This record gives sequence, structure tokens and C-alpha cells, in this order.
Amino acid sequence: MAKPRIAMYWTGGCGGCDVSPLEVGEAIVDVLSGVEIVFWPALMDAKRAHVEALPAGSIDAVLINGALRTEENMEMVRLLREKAKLIVAYGACAHLGGIIGLGNLHSAQSLVDTALGEDWQASAPVPGANGDAPPALTAGVVPLSDAITVDYVVPGCPPPAQLIGQFFRGLLEGYMPDVGHVFAEEKALCDQCPREKEDRPIERFVRPHEIEPDPDKCLLDQGVVCMGPVTRGGCEAACPKLGMPCTGCVGPTRKAGDLAGGMISALASLVRAGEEGEDVFAQEDEILDGLVDTVGTLYKYALAGTWKRGSGGGGK
Amino acid sequence: MAEQKHEPKIAAFLCRWCAYAGADLAGTNRVTYPPNMIPIRVPCSGRVEPSWVIEALREGADAVLIGGCHPGDCHYVSGNYKTRRRVALLQKVLEELGVEPARLKLTWVSASEGMRFAQVVRDYVEEVRSLGPYRGQFGAPQELHEVEENGGQVVREAVSHG
Repeated sequence: MAKPRIAMYWTGGCGGCDVSPLEVGEAIVDVLSGVEIVFWPALMDAKRAHVEALPAGSIDAVLINGALRTEENMEMVRLLREKAKLIVAYGACAHLGGIIGLGNLHSAQSLVDTALGEDWQASAPVPGANGDAPPALTAGVVPLSDAITVDYVVPGCPPPAQLIGQFFRGLLEGYMPDVGHVFAEEKALCDQCPREKEDRPIERFVRPHEIEPDPDKCLLDQGVVCMGPVTRGGCEAACPKLGMPCTGCVGPTRKAGDLAGGMISALASLVRAGEEGEDVFAQEDEILDGLVDTVGTLYKYALAGTWKRGSGGGGK
Repeated sequence: MAEQKHEPKIAAFLCRWCAYAGADLAGTNRVTYPPNMIPIRVPCSGRVEPSWVIEALREGADAVLIGGCHPGDCHYVSGNYKTRRRVALLQKVLEELGVEPARLKLTWVSASEGMRFAQVVRDYVEEVRSLGPYRGQFGAPQELHEVEENGGQVVREAVSHG
């Protein structure tokens, strides 16, 4: 069998996903010798014109990481879709919108103004104009699957080594799961977490920096908001093992559906100020008020996939 | 068409033991209330998943009403208490997103309170009407501006991108 021809492209990303395949360790030798890399801007000097010159469907798998934030990102992923047999959403940004998707809380204009200063237009070309101007920002970040058809998802921020390994093993051995597969567990991360759960009520929310967590006990039991109950396993609970709460980068389990929705359910069950009843409503509210930055905590990676900027709340 | 007033659409999740029975009583008593509410019967208000509320708003509802038993009356002992905490958290999230928390309301109605049920719906429809239609607008509150729509309806909309 001929070596699979692959490409990796970054849209609005941090570069972490491009480096992440090295996480597989020595197996990287097998991966690199088993594939032919056609296009990978982080590794090699190939330009858009090279991709345009390729026949349609001539790349076996294109891994796309990063958020779709500019018009140019949109053009590139459409071009790659045309040239690819399989498109893989690689990493949390392509999968769910990612941290960059939190920018959807603000208009594109105010993001540019904040980044460059209010009077930037005096000295810089307007995004989207011709010539040397940077590409225009889109109204808001959307997950890759909103722009083009996505065949597989390798989730995570960046994807953990185990999941990258699963994907490349499937690709190299020509044994891929059904299209639509997310390379992660169906079970929640808690299933892989070694911490002991006692189902203790949360009497006070604490942020990770406020406590030195007990190394053996569930972080939720200690009042830290850990997204484990609603997040897919697959990372071997890497963060909770190191005393940091899960932030949900691998995305929601099918059962949870929506990261924030599922987590609100979980937290509402855990907050208890003694015997349930009307007498403790005020105390409960006080505990719930202690949860700060709810959007940044519960929707750290999934805001753009759930709340779409400018797309409207349905057909009116 | 041009002068048509916005009619709010409210998705209502009603617990079958109390609020839904209250709605039934309002019906058998021929109590009238506006038809803007779409009732959905659930076994317990505690069965309402927060993601349903989010989905309802995303799919075209202007507001979501959850009706459960009065405190102490839950058929399953404590479902309504859990709902109350979920709603409190959801409203916190909505507020941070820049969506009016009033687009989600929790109310207690017993099976014998048909009149009260009708009044709750009447009041809430007016409240939602004053909020205007929900078109998925969210974002930092200072970036939402008010625009006048047909019929003089004031709507908050996201500032268009530059």
C-alpha cells in the first residue's frame, strides 16, 4: 500500500497542536516514516499555490487545527476540503471553537480595537482591504464542522498522546472507525481518574490557586470546579492527576451534550447547605454566588460551538 | 405585516404533578390566558436539563418557563430544590453571556392553583414582551445596542462587526 498522503494546517491556533504529535514519543519515527507529508506550514515551506495545484481528493487526510477567525481561514479550509479525502478536526479549537471562541463574547471590531489600540486605523491597513492588508475577521469563531464537512475529530488542547496515537495507528494500518468518530472515550473522564470520590456536598467553591488539594480525593469534593463528570475520557485524567481541575478540553460526552448544561446539573446536585429545604435557599444562593467566571469556566472551549454569534436564535 | 407586533414564544416545562395539573385546571375552569406559551409536560421540574433551556433559546424561544411544585410538595421529595439551584446557576451564566436572565423563569404552581397558573403566564408573557424578541444576541452588555424594529419594538442586538 502506498503511504498515506497527509497535510496539517493551522488556522487561528497557538501552534501547540502542530507540536503535539511529538507527544507520542518514539512512535513518531513510525508515524513520520509511514506517511508522506504534502503540506504542513509549521514544518515545511509549501504555499497555498502548491495546494491549489493539487488534484481534488489527492490528500488522504488533512488535519486542521485552530479556530476559524478570518475570511482567509474560511477560504483555506474550503480549499483543503476540496483536496482532501478525509478532514480531521484536530484539537479543541477546530472541534469546539476552543479558547479563541471566547472572543465571541465581543464583536470583531472591539477585539481589534483592544488588541491594537483605538486609533490603529491611522497607521495600519484596514483588514480585508487589498494589498498587504491582513484578512478581515469573521463575525465570530465557529467550529470547523460549521464551515466544512468534518470526518473525524481528534480532540483536546492539545490532543493527548494516547488519542493522537489511536488516530495515526488507524490511518497507517488502514483501519479507521466509522466516519464521525471522535477519538476519545464515550465514558466521562472521572472513569479514568484515580482520585477518590466521596460525594461530599460543596459548601464553598474554591479556585485552584486558593487551596493545596488533597492528592487522593476528588477535586469536586474539595470545592474545585472540575469538568470531569461531563468531559470525555481519553487523556488518562492528566490534569486531575497533577492537582489541577479538568477544564473540558476533550469536549462533552454524548450524554452531557452541552458542557455547561451538564456541569450545571452536576453542580446543582452537589451544592448543599445542610438539609434541603426553603430554610437554606439563602445559604445555597450564597454558595452558588461563589462560582466566579461561569462562562470562562463552564464554556472554556465550547462557547463558539454552542452560542453562535450573529446567527440568530432561530427562524423568526 | 409592517405594523405586526412581536408575539413572544415561551417554552414551558411543567411538572406533571403540580404545574401541569394546574394548567389543566385552568383549562377545565375556562380561565383564559395568552396562547404564547408552549407547554411541555415533564415528570418533575428536576427532569429539566439545563441544556434543554439553552437549546430552547437557541432554537427560537424568546423565553423559558419552568413550573414545579411548591417547596416541600415535590412528588419526588427534592426535585424542585435541585431545579431551583440549576436555574440560579443558569441565570448566572445567561447574565455573563449578556442574555437577560429574565428570559428564564422558575415558578411554583400547585395542582389546585389553576387561577394562579393563568396569572403567572399572563404576567410572564408581558414581561417577555417588554424584553423583545430573542434572536441569539449575546455578548458583553455594553456591545449590545437597542434598535427599533417594525411596530416600534425595541430590540437589543449585537453590534455588527467592523
